[in-house]
Amino acid sequence: MSSQGLLSDRPVFVVGTGLHPYQRRSETTYVELGLTAVRAALVDAAVSWPNVDAAYTGTALLGMGSSRIMLSRLGATGIAMTQVENASASGSSAVAQACLEVASGRSDVVLALGVDKPRGGLGAAPGQAGIQNLEGGSVVPFTHFALLASEYMDLHGVNDDQVARVALKNHRNGSLNPFAQRQKVRTLEEILSEPISGSLTRLQCCPVGEGAAAVIIASEDGISRLNLDRSRAIRVVSSVTRTEALYGEGIGIDAALTADTGLAAFEEAAVDPSDIDVLEVHDAFAIEELLYAEALGLCQPGEAAALIESGNFDIGGSCAFSPSGGLLAMGHPIGPTGVGQIVEVVRQLRGEAGPRQQPDARTGMAHMVGIGAVCVVHILRHG
Amino acid sequence: MTDPPLMMGHRCGGCSRVAFPPDPYGCEKCGAPASEFEELELEASGSVQAVATVHRHHHPKPTTPFTVGVIKLTGGPVVKAIVEGNKVVVGDTVKGVLVDGEDDNGNPVVDLHFRVAT
Repeated sequence: MSSQGLLSDRPVFVVGTGLHPYQRRSETTYVELGLTAVRAALVDAAVSWPNVDAAYTGTALLGMGSSRIMLSRLGATGIAMTQVENASASGSSAVAQACLEVASGRSDVVLALGVDKPRGGLGAAPGQAGIQNLEGGSVVPFTHFALLASEYMDLHGVNDDQVARVALKNHRNGSLNPFAQRQKVRTLEEILSEPISGSLTRLQCCPVGEGAAAVIIASEDGISRLNLDRSRAIRVVSSVTRTEALYGEGIGIDAALTADTGLAAFEEAAVDPSDIDVLEVHDAFAIEELLYAEALGLCQPGEAAALIESGNFDIGGSCAFSPSGGLLAMGHPIGPTGVGQIVEVVRQLRGEAGPRQQPDARTGMAHMVGIGAVCVVHILRHG
Repeated sequence: MTDPPLMMGHRCGGCSRVAFPPDPYGCEKCGAPASEFEELELEASGSVQAVATVHRHHHPKPTTPFTVGVIKLTGGPVVKAIVEGNKVVVGDTVKGVLVDGEDDNGNPVVDLHFRVAT
């Protein structure tokens, strides 16, 4: 459900953002990754660590008890620290919890952090439910999305090249992002090489590496008391989490979950899809951007491929889709990803996104989905 | 042995939803416990809604390339399964076929695959 008016009764703002670059797995400890992002966010917000009231760490792969060993190195202030796991949406859910805590009045300044290091295999719980299906281990995530691509292309008469153009755009955006795991401009020919599953190729699948992302969430009271820069505070106007319902047999389930969640988010924020200037979307696989553009109502069913081709979703188009490079190019280190989306949206709405800046961006959205299946959407607004 | 093979699914006593695979817990539609399910035989036949040939895979089995389809069963539920052959297209009618295979530990198993009906 949405936060049911809490965010309008007691406004919450993102006042600081920080990142550790997303990268291939390295010897860097998760503690170092996380602290880099948190320190950057504290500096950006001009908030000192003792003024932070609580912390939520989005992580899916680190195992138990990751927060304190890391955050106590900023000073063991004794604040509440909680790990949040929600598959790929873990970071988004950490942000949601931080917003809820501030909106509830319990805290004025809360940290939401995402940090992860892949350990080989995702260890997803649904496989341990003891329900045996026919596909067994033959359908891993990229094949699930390759099947969705097949269904979409058949339904709308879209070809492989058109889907690949999502990756073309997002790799180009990633080349402008110093925090992205993939920073190379690619040609369509490169993107179409190295088949993985169905029409999906290696460069149409996200890299899962390591990294960290942090945001500081504050109330108006917190902003006043700590004398923070109001002009750089970006308001969170909706925070919605939904899980998959029974939409019907088989077809369009992933898109239906996003449509459901998006609708509730637009309602809570009292904005229309056409108001969205910047959208960080769960583009783990290229086909997803087309599915979700339509599910979120940014265009009509079957229109997204043509709009990508005409540059409508480029930086400078009607809505910049995945200006960070998205999961495809910035990367998908799991825990950090959802927080990193908020970081990008905030930088865009502040006008601080440098060469990736979407002109006159006022309203932005962050969208993640995760195994299970869960969807988390945030809408943010400047001024 | 019937041709095509039969798949054992269930019908919920609470809401009549037909589902596959069998579920030991409860109904996603109405919440009835699994004790209210009755077994239901579903014919392993249907039509292909989506198809993907897998070139790279995380697990040793199945060996690549192999083709996976989303199949709308004649009896209602939608399943994902291996479809034999690489000439499968959306809209094809497929029928189940039992094939001998091995699990990841090399133990013999019988798998249900699908094949384009001729």
